[in-house]
Amino acid sequence: MVQPVLEWQAGTVTAIRDETRRTKSFTLALPKWMVHRPGQHYDVRLTAPDGYQTQRSYSIASPPERVGELELTVERIPDGEVSPYLHDVLMQGDQLEVRGPIGGYFVWEVTLGGPLLLIAGGSGVVPLMAMLRHRAAQHAMVPTRLLYSSRTADDVIYRGELDAMAGSDRTFEAFYTFTRQPPAGWTGYRRRIDAAMLGEVIKPFDKRARVYVCGPTLLVEAVANALVQMELPTEQIRTERFGPTGA
Amino acid sequence: MDNDEADMNTALMVDGNAVAGQLQQIFGRDMTMATARCAGCASDAALGALMAFTRGPGIVLRCPACQAAIARIVETPSAIYLEARGAAFLRMTPPP
Repeated sequence: MVQPVLEWQAGTVTAIRDETRRTKSFTLALPKWMVHRPGQHYDVRLTAPDGYQTQRSYSIASPPERVGELELTVERIPDGEVSPYLHDVLMQGDQLEVRGPIGGYFVWEVTLGGPLLLIAGGSGVVPLMAMLRHRAAQHAMVPTRLLYSSRTADDVIYRGELDAMAGSDRTFEAFYTFTRQPPAGWTGYRRRIDAAMLGEVIKPFDKRARVYVCGPTLLVEAVANALVQMELPTEQIRTERFGPTGA
Repeated sequence: MDNDEADMNTALMVDGNAVAGQLQQIFGRDMTMATARCAGCASDAALGALMAFTRGPGIVLRCPACQAAIARIVETPSAIYLEARGAAFLRMTPPP
């Protein structure tokens, strides 16, 4: 596969959607749109009037089947350099400098098969959502489970869409765990992801599971270590850490 | 390194995948699936799976097995420096 030169281009913001209190999705129309692989990211670069530049990587939330535009879901980090600008300043119609798609390590396509176990902490669900949307767009019946850790019910990104997916597809199940405040009447998990929880969710797939883990570093470390303890082959585990902040 | 510093560094760590853009800028291709062999402990790891420290003036990529520095990347206004003496080699598939 010959890769085109990675170059910066100015995307136009065509829509901004609130996902949760702290996350928004930005739809960008790109003059040089390229098909991406689910799990890849774009770099976003901001340039100040004095020439100072800073950049961050943001996962693509949209599936490659959505041609001509891409959607980035971004968590607002209060002391971040880029995300507060995106959340507080950027408006529909504005331009944003991006380059991508980038990365070949943390990607999943229907052709890679399953069974697929996706594990997310907070906004770590974003690249996994691109995989799920791609899977749905392809009407693929790859057995898939999502284990998604959030602080509270209000922090769950894409909840409606995930529940709709799970409701219409018997080969997909979503499991939620709440680490601070579970919703009233919640009978599911209410703690950080641990080895016991992983063992329950991975059970039907056992050691055949292809696992993608994305979230804060400490969650990813804990999950990856637990999976290795379960003797899951390391080549079936892909991780993406976004540090404490994502920024 | 005392414990607080170690915890802080762990918390700030990301994966090599996070610097895929900078690597692609240097090599002209995706490098996250290329393998690096650590010059220190001889472990192999995909560049996308190295430990990446990106919050300093430059980027440091470390071996996930022994934590030795495999490579450092620094960008100045006029140049990009890649120092990779911590790698015995990089292995990648040839272009088709």
